[in-house]
Amino acid sequence: MNNTTALLLLLACGAVTYAARSSLILLLADRTLPLTVQQALKNVGPAVLAALTVSLAVGPEGIGSVELAEAAALLAAAVATVWKRNLMLTFAAGMTTLWIVGALT
Amino acid sequence: MAISLRPDRMALADMAPVAVPAIPFGFIVGVAIGESALPTWAGIASSQIVFAGASQLALITLAGPASFWAIVTAVAVINSRHLMYSAAMAPTFREQPRWMRWVGPYVLIDQVFALSVMQTERPPDSFRRYYLTTGVGFWLLWNTVVPLGLVVGTLIPDSWRLDYAAALMFCGLTLFAVDRVPAAAAAVVGGFVSLLAVGLRDRLGIVVGAVAGVIVGAFVDRWWSARHPIIDPEALPDAEGSTA
Repeated sequence: MNNTTALLLLLACGAVTYAARSSLILLLADRTLPLTVQQALKNVGPAVLAALTVSLAVGPEGIGSVELAEAAALLAAAVATVWKRNLMLTFAAGMTTLWIVGALT
Repeated sequence: MAISLRPDRMALADMAPVAVPAIPFGFIVGVAIGESALPTWAGIASSQIVFAGASQLALITLAGPASFWAIVTAVAVINSRHLMYSAAMAPTFREQPRWMRWVGPYVLIDQVFALSVMQTERPPDSFRRYYLTTGVGFWLLWNTVVPLGLVVGTLIPDSWRLDYAAALMFCGLTLFAVDRVPAAAAAVVGGFVSLLAVGLRDRLGIVVGAVAGVIVGAFVDRWWSARHPIIDPEALPDAEGSTA
């Protein structure tokens, strides 16, 4: 990616992020968002994060390209998250499993 | 109107437990910059221009395989949750000076929101000091940890598989975000649909999956709320005037 495209990409990403953070503080007078919009926004996080996880974990070649060690690492990361709710442990459990299973297979 | 540069001590103390998990995450963002198709300077500048961990990781890892607009869309969708924070903070910011209403949102990240939303009862000056202490604090922390990850990441051999760290972190972040049944439905559908659509060009499967997840989540939300109504008789007379 060349420097100009990278700069434009950064500015566009910065602008949409700032817009999301500032728009309602700057525009919302004495109104609140409709309840349906508020409820829909609550589900955006889980939906997009799950979609990103799958995209990054699987890659463009599909589920067949996932190695056993990668699948085991994802499972370990998920278990660690649910169990301890600590992202540092998520990372440690996932990476350790990836190394161990990767070395064995 | 006094502009105090003295940090709020309570804010500094509150930051510590929330800051600790952000450190390895920032580190991984730094490592990802080293492996990205994005020029290194742009990866580092994303911490100042975008300043939003999960979307930065998406931007950094998608640069290359995804198109310009697919990346911007992914960042916009990930950060749309900030609309919620903006809506929740609007009544408090109404009492703030104009410059604060423009500058404050720049640091309205998850952690700053989570901490300062509990301090909205403070007088405007005091709230501003608390908010800006956490905001500037996290900004400084993030802009230290990310470059550190980049430097250390280049020293780590490929066999350590740090390229897969982003997938593991997003897996954890997803589970963190799932706190209710409708959110779980949104995540399961979002993940499954993006898996079916994984072959789409420019990683559009992410957006397709996310949209499907939000739609199904909204339907499940309606069904779930009908079956589990929140009945609080004391809250009813004040419901009109409530800003919570």
